[in-house]
Amino acid sequence: MKATIVALVLLVAGALAPVIFAGQPYALYVLTLALCYAIPAIGLNLLYGYTGLVSLGHMGFAGVGAYTTAVLMKDVGLPFVPSLLAGAAAAGFVGLVVGIPCLRLRSHFFIVVTLAVGMILFTLFNNLDGLTGGAEGLPGIPRPQGFAIGPLEVEFRSLTGFYLLAFTVTTLIFAFQYVLVRSDFGRSLSSVRQDETLAAARGVNVFGHKLMAFVLSAAIAGVGGAMKVLFLRAAAPLSFELQESINLVLMLILGGAGYLIGPIIGAVIFVGLPEFLRIASEMRLIFFGFVLLLLARFAPRGVCGLAEAAYKKRFDREEAVGIAHS
Amino acid sequence: MVSPILEVSGISKSFGGIQAVDGASFSLGQPGIYGLIGPNGAGKTTMFDIICGRQVPSEGEVRFHSERIDGQKPYWLARQGLARTFQECRVLPEETCLDNVLFAAQDKRLGGELWQTLTRSGKARREAEAEARRLLRLINLERYADQPAGALSYGQRRLLEIVSCLMSKPRILLLDEPASGINPTLLNTLRDFLVEIYEETKIVFLIVEHNMEFIMSLASEIIVMHQGRVLTQGTPERVQSDKSVIDAYLG
Repeated sequence: MKATIVALVLLVAGALAPVIFAGQPYALYVLTLALCYAIPAIGLNLLYGYTGLVSLGHMGFAGVGAYTTAVLMKDVGLPFVPSLLAGAAAAGFVGLVVGIPCLRLRSHFFIVVTLAVGMILFTLFNNLDGLTGGAEGLPGIPRPQGFAIGPLEVEFRSLTGFYLLAFTVTTLIFAFQYVLVRSDFGRSLSSVRQDETLAAARGVNVFGHKLMAFVLSAAIAGVGGAMKVLFLRAAAPLSFELQESINLVLMLILGGAGYLIGPIIGAVIFVGLPEFLRIASEMRLIFFGFVLLLLARFAPRGVCGLAEAAYKKRFDREEAVGIAHS
Repeated sequence: MVSPILEVSGISKSFGGIQAVDGASFSLGQPGIYGLIGPNGAGKTTMFDIICGRQVPSEGEVRFHSERIDGQKPYWLARQGLARTFQECRVLPEETCLDNVLFAAQDKRLGGELWQTLTRSGKARREAEAEARRLLRLINLERYADQPAGALSYGQRRLLEIVSCLMSKPRILLLDEPASGINPTLLNTLRDFLVEIYEETKIVFLIVEHNMEFIMSLASEIIVMHQGRVLTQGTPERVQSDKSVIDAYLG
């Protein structure tokens, strides 16, 4: 119930952001960029927060989605929606190919393999000149075509227009996450995270469920990557390097893995706070390294965990007071 | 003749140089509470693991309602109606007691899960929840229905694990040392509870147990293993007076 109210408030605030930040295009720019990270972070949340698998190469999958969408829109001239779906499918397919051999590995070996996969994908983006444009990347990716509903003109060329598109896509991905996590499938994933042996004894095909989660997670990351290159209007390998993958994990931990809203909060803080505090990008890792230390000590479940604990504390006190008065 | 519910024939399993199970055979003909006992190192746990799919036998076969099940994966066996508990007692610590029980009843097939979620009627959900609450009431945990299972005591978790198995409507229930770590007072409660649920379900209970007094007063039939073989199978009275069993334990 409370969670529904929080979600509604965020939804309204998100939709009204162009009005709230009316005179501050830079704030809206940062917010849009944050949403482009929030989407792959949601994908990672499905994997890390709910299934209990860590991937250190997730921006690699985002890159697969990004380049697929970019090439389809720029060179083939396909419209936005089918290109985006194809990007997601391509990222999911790479997830499948990687997942089948690797998900049988024990957790820490799996993490190392995802790291390697991320680096391999980066190397491919950087060197397949014919397809990805190599280190220079693919410039001049067109923004999605606008459309008109009666007198209402919808365009994605302006910052406001693209922000609203990114916000819509993020909302849809969030809704997808919500349905998955709250379904019986989500319960099975959660059982795998809590106790694999027990999950199997209860009838959960642990490998099959992990694979499914991994594929969906990679596909979601692909959508995020595509949104990012459409926003920046250029696809460059550096957008999908190892450091970016690690940043994604940091965002998730910062926001709170295993909370529906965690990846979005994490992405907004991680992308937004340094801009707000005017921290040079080189200092960013030092800053977040320090923040991570504090989190590990005081809030292992991230900002969402902190909020939950504070809420429970207050609620318990009110309840106790209520009992004392009655 | 009706085929036995569970039939184990000529099972052997060795680990390195150690022959843990050596041509063991027994069969569980009809519903009942069966006890599987034996001194340490008799091969009970290995036998149990083979039936549950955690180990693949080197030789022999296991048949469940005349279908071969040896070498199958645990999740597949669970879907066939083979439910088990663990010696170290496993529950989902973060889920509530109610969700732990409900989870057992859920269709775990990948496609089935999403389909079930989308098509489940309110009535079906309420019925499942009512059944889960009834089971929790049986073990006096209904008031903890909305508490995480990780907060329960060890004994309570053990009971929760058993009722979770029941929720999945199993055709056979395998219990791995249910009495270990349970204090003597609770042991009587556990025995009464097991008899009660047996009377209700009338399925095969196969119980591996170390606590002689407990299993002798509970089981209708005892299988004794020793050095990887089945020494004898019979009623508790007969087994207890069997000379070879006494020799094996004292010996």
